[in-house]
Amino acid sequence: MNKTSTDLSPAEVTPGDEPLLAVDDLHVEFHTRAGTVRAVNGVSYTVGAGETLAVLGESGSGKSVTAQAIMGILDMPPAVIPHGEIRFKGTDLLKLSEEARTQVRGQRIAMIFQDALSALNPVFTVGWQISEMFRVHRGMSKSEAMKKAVELMDRVRIPAAKQRVHDYPHQFSGGMRQRIMIAMSIALDPEVLIADEPTTALDVTVQAQIMELLAELQRESQMGLILITHDLGVVADVADKIAVMYAGRIVENAPVYDIYKTPAHPYTKGLLDSIPRVDLKGQDLYAIKGLPPNLLDLPKGCSFHPRCPYRQDNCESTAPQLYEISGIRGSACHYWREVLDGERQQ
Amino acid sequence: MANDSSERILEVRDLVKHFPLTQGILFKKQIGAIKAVDGVSFDLNRGETLGIVGESGCGKSTLAKVLMALERPTSGSVKINGRDIAKARGGELKRMRRNIQMVMQDPYTSLNPRMTVGDIIGEPYEIHTEVAPKGDRSRRVQELLEVVGLNPDHLNRYPHQFSGGQRQRIGIARGLALQPEIIVCDEPVSALDVSIQAQVINLLERLQNEFNLAYIFIAHDLSVVRHISDRVGVMYLGKFVELGKDTEIYDRPAHPYTQALLSAVPVPDPEGREQRERIILQGDPPSPANPPSGCRFRTRCWKAQEICAQEEPLLQIRPGTGHESACHFAETHDVVHVS
Repeated sequence: MNKTSTDLSPAEVTPGDEPLLAVDDLHVEFHTRAGTVRAVNGVSYTVGAGETLAVLGESGSGKSVTAQAIMGILDMPPAVIPHGEIRFKGTDLLKLSEEARTQVRGQRIAMIFQDALSALNPVFTVGWQISEMFRVHRGMSKSEAMKKAVELMDRVRIPAAKQRVHDYPHQFSGGMRQRIMIAMSIALDPEVLIADEPTTALDVTVQAQIMELLAELQRESQMGLILITHDLGVVADVADKIAVMYAGRIVENAPVYDIYKTPAHPYTKGLLDSIPRVDLKGQDLYAIKGLPPNLLDLPKGCSFHPRCPYRQDNCESTAPQLYEISGIRGSACHYWREVLDGERQQ
Repeated sequence: MANDSSERILEVRDLVKHFPLTQGILFKKQIGAIKAVDGVSFDLNRGETLGIVGESGCGKSTLAKVLMALERPTSGSVKINGRDIAKARGGELKRMRRNIQMVMQDPYTSLNPRMTVGDIIGEPYEIHTEVAPKGDRSRRVQELLEVVGLNPDHLNRYPHQFSGGQRQRIGIARGLALQPEIIVCDEPVSALDVSIQAQVINLLERLQNEFNLAYIFIAHDLSVVRHISDRVGVMYLGKFVELGKDTEIYDRPAHPYTQALLSAVPVPDPEGREQRERIILQGDPPSPANPPSGCRFRTRCWKAQEICAQEEPLLQIRPGTGHESACHFAETHDVVHVS
């Protein structure tokens, strides 16, 4: 897919070593009546062209808030970004004016939302909603834009696109709706696509279809893909590298093969160990103790220490930085060496 | 773990549940039916777990409701300890319901936010007063809280003061209150965080051993079903397409749908992901109001031939396979090459 728009100003052109998208020490807080919710506490990750980064974490880990900050769709207030940079091809998006941001949003960086039924407007046809991208961003006429919408629906393999373009969202199945969401997000050939739990509401058979479609589109257009999920299976299937989030921080980042073979953070290890395994049927599953922390009142030191089997005294006082294990791996655990060497539980 | 000599506790025969589709306001005319459950038969032994898997809309949850007698079946029987709950009425139905309880999917909506935990877990005793005399109830509730791993002093708290995993424990405690022999778990862990799921699964297994419970475990997460189930039934459009021991279903699936379903499950190990066999089904399941003739899976099946459209394959043991499957061309094929 060649980019048709060549509206890059010289300053925007990617320097040699700058990745396509880089999030750098991002902090997001929500000021609420109950206090300050620290949803994201210093997250850094990068994604390059054609690369798939999986952001793994449970609800409340800050993975979606980070994505919303990249898209610039956080409600501010109550959200505040006190610190951090989000660089797209070297330009800090957080410093751009709202107008310039609108040029990026949807066109250069696009997003697929989790729940397609609530993300689509029930009172407009899907064709209208897809073609809106072309009318608003490209100034096309209605009929031209509608033609483009049919093309896109073909591209995401919706059968009988020409007829179905006039249907409403409720007339489609869950998988087809998610395809429509994907069609909308790739309409303007974005360079970065953020998929926030794109298959969580779907059956496994449909999930396989959607993941295959995303992989194909990515191959065609060399998009950078940020896949936000809590599913360790999906991640293992498609990711190039993984960032594991816990309580608003990245606790481990690594290439996909390393993390599954030798996790270097107790949380990652606990998650992997709690997957039911065939050879351990009939035994108890390994379970991470306790509950995810309250973001209003994060534990002192390492946020994971109340649940951690590797805990030592200093974990309660000093928050670990993201230690570099090798050039491409990091773990935010004081005792990552022990975790790395340690036996898998069970 | 169940053995063959153990007692049969639940016997389901040719269970059918159709929801009528009507037209007209004053003179309602039936123009068709959603065939949600369309001829399901199985047995369940004491202390055994039967896992039920299938895509959404295949009738899993309707099946659960019919088993609980929350819906009356269109035809067929559900025998609990030899007596048919589908035909029971009044006092008899009430007594039979004591024996089969349910754990719901969503712990956020299945607990009344205006009731304290003590009232929620104790409510079954209001209905079945013979189980626990009034003075004994709060002690019983506290015992139940302890059994499911919650603090017995939290009796007077409200559901919103608990996390998702804890709420599901409350739901389980409520299910246990009447000391049932069968518990129907409808997606009990799918609303929970990954790190909490394992805790709840372990709890369910511990309770099963402790009280010799029989579980009907409905879930879409196939690896969880495999972990907890002794036998597994695969449902497609209101029918079982395959039924067998967990190892038979997972290691030697015979029905093409089971094979496709298993191959679609992402394996949490990137090693060898390029070589993995993947059967990607095209399209969506057909509407249960108008299922295809013959074999219901034929519209998405790569093995379909003429006979599939004409003759409905019955759920039976097929040559070359050791367990029941409903396919004319059943052939065991290991799709998940994991140890």
